[in-house]
Amino acid sequence: RVSSDGKPPKFQPPPKPVIIVRKTQKEEKRFLSPEFIPPRGRTDPLKYYIERKDMIQRRKVFNIPEFYVGHVLAVTTADPYASDKSNRFVGICIQRGGKGLGATFVLRNVIEDQGVEICYELYSPRIQVIEVLKLEKRLDENLMYLRDALPEYSTFDVNMKPVPRMDHEEIPVNKLQVRMKPKPWSKRWERPKYNIKGIKFELPEHKMKSAQKWSQPWLEFDMLREYDTSKIEEKIRKELSEELEK
Amino acid sequence: MMPIWTKSGEKHAVTLLKVQDCHVLRYVSKEESGGKTAKLLVGGKNVSPFSKPESAHEIFKEAGVPRKQKVTTFNVTDDAIIKPGTPLYAAHFRPGQFVDVTAKTIGKGFQGVVKRWGFKGQPASHGQTKTHRRPGAISTNKAAKVYRGKKMPGKMGNIYRTSFGLKVWRINTKHDIIYVNGSVPGHTNCLVKVRDSKLPTYKDCNKNPPFPTFFADGDEELPEDLFDEEIFQFTDPSVTLA
Repeated sequence: RVSSDGKPPKFQPPPKPVIIVRKTQKEEKRFLSPEFIPPRGRTDPLKYYIERKDMIQRRKVFNIPEFYVGHVLAVTTADPYASDKSNRFVGICIQRGGKGLGATFVLRNVIEDQGVEICYELYSPRIQVIEVLKLEKRLDENLMYLRDALPEYSTFDVNMKPVPRMDHEEIPVNKLQVRMKPKPWSKRWERPKYNIKGIKFELPEHKMKSAQKWSQPWLEFDMLREYDTSKIEEKIRKELSEELEK
Repeated sequence: MMPIWTKSGEKHAVTLLKVQDCHVLRYVSKEESGGKTAKLLVGGKNVSPFSKPESAHEIFKEAGVPRKQKVTTFNVTDDAIIKPGTPLYAAHFRPGQFVDVTAKTIGKGFQGVVKRWGFKGQPASHGQTKTHRRPGAISTNKAAKVYRGKKMPGKMGNIYRTSFGLKVWRINTKHDIIYVNGSVPGHTNCLVKVRDSKLPTYKDCNKNPPFPTFFADGDEELPEDLFDEEIFQFTDPSVTLA
């Protein structure tokens, strides 16, 4: 540029970067139950649409609360063989499986020194009430290793009072490292395929090292295994919010 | 396939079948066909007309209908004849009816005798030399031949099979979907033939079915979903046993 004076132009510092803080945090935290996301396959999407209509219909009548693996729930079901015709079970949610109407969740508790696990179907009409007693996420999405952990980690009081939830925003993550019973376990939890972060492994170092032999580090770079659900999730969230407001 | 619950809380598995562009193509009289009853040719799913020669399009042109992927025959009594060109809908069936479903089974290719016919094979150890899944003996000494129809390895699957006596639980008239009890032969999204059951136990089952078929331009206006009496509908509150 040619200046009018003939002197070199005055140094102008570059403009300072302006940081625009977008309000994405609240939008990301809107919870979508995992059974709504259709699995990857060659089925007609019409089937999932019709299943979702049924699921929304059920949710309008019966409240299914937002819960993750690691929460402590109390479920009351209709039981034809009980004296009151209803049965209340309290337990920690170990895993959530299944898609669509057949979605299930497994609750575990230790009652009178006997470990009990019950698998409930979310949309079964026999379930009368689901209460969330304690809100707590854990480090893993599958707590099946609690079967091989010391029983104190799976015992929960049957008459536990619901812990009041303070904020309507964050669900606390419990970084508890669970101590295990001596080996043999039902599964070799130290192997990298289970990717468990919530166990305090007290195994000798050479065993932990030899377990890494079964690691498959190429899996995370495998492009054929990628299933990007972000767009599908957005559509389903929109559909859900529209239908539930009606 | 989907779960379905009854009012007493029992769960049943259900297959969804979609009625996609079904039209009646031709009426074949009893004398022409040489059978005991008259026949109606019905065509299924619409498909592009460019992959077949013009000679194959004659049936579809007569009925005034795009080319169909599959054409099947139904044996029909004389009072149930339908004009060629009428569309058929899922409302032809009603909940509580019993139905037979025919389809081509999943093709498994060339399979051995253990998978194809359920033979037990031989033990894995104790001295077996290279013999773990073989058929063993194929005939006796006296016969001095192998009988026709002997179960041997070969191509398995990809043949027509029928499941009989399946109950219809629910019908969706808007999307033309039939909810049929249990499993059905064939892979997902395969073509399937649905017919009123011919089992003797379900002969008198149908109470006032739409006869000869459900006509869409008729006076009857059906709700979007037709349910069987025993089904738990999701608009009701949770089941409480008395």
